[in-house]
Amino acid sequence: MIYSTELIKGTLKTIVLKMLSDNKKMYGYEITQHVKEVTKDKILISEGALYPTLHALESEGLLKTETEYIGKRVRKYYTLSPTGKSKAKEKMNELTDFINTLTFLLDIKHA
Amino acid sequence: MYKISDEQIDYILDDISARGVKMEDLQQNILDHVCCIIEQGLEESGDFKSFYLQTIETFYKNNLSEIEEETNLLLTFKNYYKMKKAMISSGAFSAILLLTGSLFKFMHWPGAAILLFVGIIVLCFLFLPLLFILKMKEAKATRDKVILTMGVVIGILYFLGPLFKVQHWPGANILLFTTVILMFFLFIPVYFFTGIRNPETKINTIVSTILLVGVVSMQFTLMSLKKPVNSTTDNNSKSTKIARY
Repeated sequence: MIYSTELIKGTLKTIVLKMLSDNKKMYGYEITQHVKEVTKDKILISEGALYPTLHALESEGLLKTETEYIGKRVRKYYTLSPTGKSKAKEKMNELTDFINTLTFLLDIKHA
Repeated sequence: MYKISDEQIDYILDDISARGVKMEDLQQNILDHVCCIIEQGLEESGDFKSFYLQTIETFYKNNLSEIEEETNLLLTFKNYYKMKKAMISSGAFSAILLLTGSLFKFMHWPGAAILLFVGIIVLCFLFLPLLFILKMKEAKATRDKVILTMGVVIGILYFLGPLFKVQHWPGANILLFTTVILMFFLFIPVYFFTGIRNPETKINTIVSTILLVGVVSMQFTLMSLKKPVNSTTDNNSKSTKIARY
């Protein structure tokens, strides 16, 4: 099952922050591939959702960037800023709490 | 693994730009992303152009520029909330200062002038401009934009006039007169005649116009536009009257 765009959009910031807190520095394509592999193709992050989110997180001061030239093209690596690190924890806690509440609300029984 | 040439990079970059992505940062991100997919997915002898076109089409629903629009939306949205917060705090701050300032002025307590001064300055040069920027973004019709611009300019003059008056600064009367003239002969007519044409806003426009005329008339009746009659002259005229009778 591939999850709907609506579900992924609401959690994308948290997913990106978590990926970067686990992997130090990553570039856009790497993030999408990593998420795809870890979730066994269940979560596919579209380019149209990823890059606006990365730019927004960068402008909020949560991400730092460094560029690397690969021949003629530029690769932009993203890392968490100190604020980004604490925000990643905060977002993770919020999402975990939300999942627990949803589990309770929807009366989902664990197998 | 396919190796992309410099000419192909230029081709992709030109195409991304032609498809409406103008932010350089975003162009570079998309370019690198496409190149990674091509390098991973295309065989060495494969057809670059058709593979590229297939790949880029998976990036969007209708146009590639959607990515830039979404980026701008997220960036503006962030500023929108910051500005909204700043507008509310500056408005609340100036309202408190104006309230306490006018009370101090009424009671002839010291500090009234500085309270009123800071209150009006914050209101005119922080709250109202922020309100203008935020409302301009929401306003779609030209009528709303014109009304908003005039309203904010006249609003600033409306608050600066009394400030100049109580501080006894030169030009107070000119400011007050200008505000009355602009209000009665420009803002209210434009607001009224453009508003009553639309059946949806007709009643609201009539009510708001009546209230506006009432409030502005009362305000400027109370605040004498001419210098108050000198008390000594007043006493003299009284004594003259008494002498006559």
